Amino acid sequence: MAEPQMTPEQIKALQEKIKSMSPEELKEFQKKQCIFCQIISGKIQAKKTYEDDKVIAILDINPSNPGHILLLTKEHYSIMPQLPDDELSHVFMVAKSLSNTMLRSIDAQGTNIIVANGIAAGQRAQHFMVHVIPRKEKDGVNFVLPQKSMEQSEVESVGNRIIAALGGSVEKEEKPPVPMAQFLQPKIVPETRKQDRKEPKQASDEKDDSITTPDNKGNDSKKDSPKPKSGIDLDDIAKLLGAK
Amino acid sequence: MTAEKSREGCIICGIIAGRIPSKKVYEDDLVMAVLDVNGSNPGHCFVMPKNHYPIIEQVPDPEIGKLFQVSNKISTAIFESLGAQGTNIFVANGIPAGQTVAHFTINVIPRKENDGINLQWQPKQLSEEEMSTVELKLKEQSKNIGNFEREKKIAKVAASKPVEISGEEEEFFSRQLRRLP
Repeated sequence: MAEPQMTPEQIKALQEKIKSMSPEELKEFQKKQCIFCQIISGKIQAKKTYEDDKVIAILDINPSNPGHILLLTKEHYSIMPQLPDDELSHVFMVAKSLSNTMLRSIDAQGTNIIVANGIAAGQRAQHFMVHVIPRKEKDGVNFVLPQKSMEQSEVESVGNRIIAALGGSVEKEEKPPVPMAQFLQPKIVPETRKQDRKEPKQASDEKDDSITTPDNKGNDSKKDSPKPKSGIDLDDIAKLLGAK
Repeated sequence: MTAEKSREGCIICGIIAGRIPSKKVYEDDLVMAVLDVNGSNPGHCFVMPKNHYPIIEQVPDPEIGKLFQVSNKISTAIFESLGAQGTNIFVANGIPAGQTVAHFTINVIPRKENDGINLQWQPKQLSEEEMSTVELKLKEQSKNIGNFEREKKIAKVAASKPVEISGEEEEFFSRQLRRLP
């Protein structure tokens, strides 16, 4: 899909505008900019195939295959790490069911479930979504996942860094890492999470902030530059949808 | 018929049982995650149910929830520890979708720009009529979706018990599974 370019002046004006916003305003701004929030609220038409109180499934207007579904959270989250565990579980239980319906109703021979977090991963819209894609043999969809072999030393160091970031222990390498089941305990109650959502600046997760609130990272121009671009992506989709 | 705890000859079951060496990054009673040493990028992880389920449809809902929660935590850990610019969560169900091992697996893949991975597609042009037909078919079948709560409660009482698959389901899936190695 072609990405329309903004002039440097427009980008600068947008950045200034975003910087001057309070967290609440920013959240509102993001929601207003978000084409998918408008689909959810019914302002923009889409072909819904499933809906409940937490999620909505619509047909992708640029599908990889007929029946390609976008499963969206009704709440606006930019990336997956922002989702509370219970909501995340629900999303993927529905994704599993949607995969199931594809096998049974549109003769899919398989399915792919894909999430893209971040522009480098192929994320185009700032609204968390799961792609559920019906697959058939020779359907022309070619996902490329190359194999790169790792040195044993790299395996250890990369693995240990992930374990450490998960909060585990890596003291003895010959011993399997300590289970990190504690992070699955429901210590974060949904209520607290809701507060975090309203006040993104107080959210403890820096990674979330780096993507959702550009104003926090104003000093990092390298990271900032793709954001206005992704905002335009949304407009682009809005135009396509609005054209109907 | 009950779902198998473990299947002989399954590579993933071998990894889970420790017969095949791996670099574990996470383990609990139902889920294990290991580093893929031939991954698409350094840090590519597999998240797998310990019980042997060939495809996603067989994995009970509570385990689905947990598997993706773990995948999400690993995704976050990859962001934090490996300086990834993004992550993909990728699942392939069935051979046409690219599934190579008959044990349900979630791929968590760290991403950087120009890393040689391609999960994009060339959009297919469908007529309004084709879109509506697909919509109706999926909508009709999706009426049965829901009621996940009940399974959650059962899970709390007997999370580790083997999960029953009804005769009809089994028949449906066995057709699918014969296709897998």
